[in-house]
Amino acid sequence: MSTVLLIEDDAWLAEIEAQVLREAGYTVEVAPHGFSAMDKLDTYRPEVIILDVLLTGSTAFSFLNELRSHGDIGTIPIILCTNIAEQFKAHHLREYGVRRIVDKVTMHPDDLAVAVRSVLSDDEFEKGGVS
Amino acid sequence: MNTGESRDEVTPLVAAAHELKAPLALMRQLALRLESSNLSEAERQRLLQQTILTSERALRLTSDLTRSTRLDPALFTLEPINPEQLCRDVASELTPLFEAYGRRVEVTTRKHPLLLVANRDLLRRILLGFGDNALHYSGGDSVVRLQINALKRAGLIRIGVRDYGPALSSDMWRTLQKKLRTSPQSVHARPESSGLGLYIASQFAEVMNGRIGAVRHKDGATFYVELQASSQMSLL
Repeated sequence: MSTVLLIEDDAWLAEIEAQVLREAGYTVEVAPHGFSAMDKLDTYRPEVIILDVLLTGSTAFSFLNELRSHGDIGTIPIILCTNIAEQFKAHHLREYGVRRIVDKVTMHPDDLAVAVRSVLSDDEFEKGGVS
Repeated sequence: MNTGESRDEVTPLVAAAHELKAPLALMRQLALRLESSNLSEAERQRLLQQTILTSERALRLTSDLTRSTRLDPALFTLEPINPEQLCRDVASELTPLFEAYGRRVEVTTRKHPLLLVANRDLLRRILLGFGDNALHYSGGDSVVRLQINALKRAGLIRIGVRDYGPALSSDMWRTLQKKLRTSPQSVHARPESSGLGLYIASQFAEVMNGRIGAVRHKDGATFYVELQASSQMSLL
């Protein structure tokens, strides 16, 4: 069972997203901000991180920069889940590990589970040395 | 990489659109979740309650925005107000929202009552806004406190809303200080906020000859409004 770290500072939204992901079969850890996410990364070693952009305490980008500076956890794939998706292009953020961008404004709750599944299968594909 | 760290100012209209996006998106997700067939009745009721409270938060912002476009001082009567009583009213109004998030809001009581000069509606709106902000920033099951202090030498009374959450970095603190003085900023200037709420609060305070400010603590922040103490205070 894959573990997903969900970084979302709105407690109610985090609860909905976590429930949907659990129903899809994932183990979910929730962090309300980048500081607690860094702590949880060491403990839970998630396969995927879902990251809100407009966070309390520090920006998603300072979190991404810090994450990339760690050799062991710096390669965990990221899914950005944000209200300002229109301001980003996934290929511009790829070097920071961002594999998908999900628009919170238009998404259906199941879209997150679909994005996680797709990122994990990309990973399998790459690890298999096919790409 | 363009991380969007621009400090460009944005119009209040754009800032309002941004600020309303989050509660609207949340309400949509709550409604979509309600469509799910495998929810218990208790779960359904909780989601409904969350939808109502989120819509009320959004409506408070729209109401403040409307009010901020008509801020002729002549329209706002200033009167002596007991800040502790007003803080209690604000705390009561915020309590359902705080309880739904598993948090508490409390008023720190004073031994000696104080009076300040303000417009009740505008001061209430400032404190509700600070309370909303504190709810967002406070962590876990922490309490948010409304505190009243007399700055006797300056003849002012300060009402602060203290939250306990992650400390703000120095960079973010500098940005916040700028926001306390200027119009709304690019949505990236501070995470999740365009500063519109602070901008509106500062306008409301100005109409009452007051000002807003913030104090950084190692475990959170206090947002405050300072207003003239009532001369009736000396009679107490």
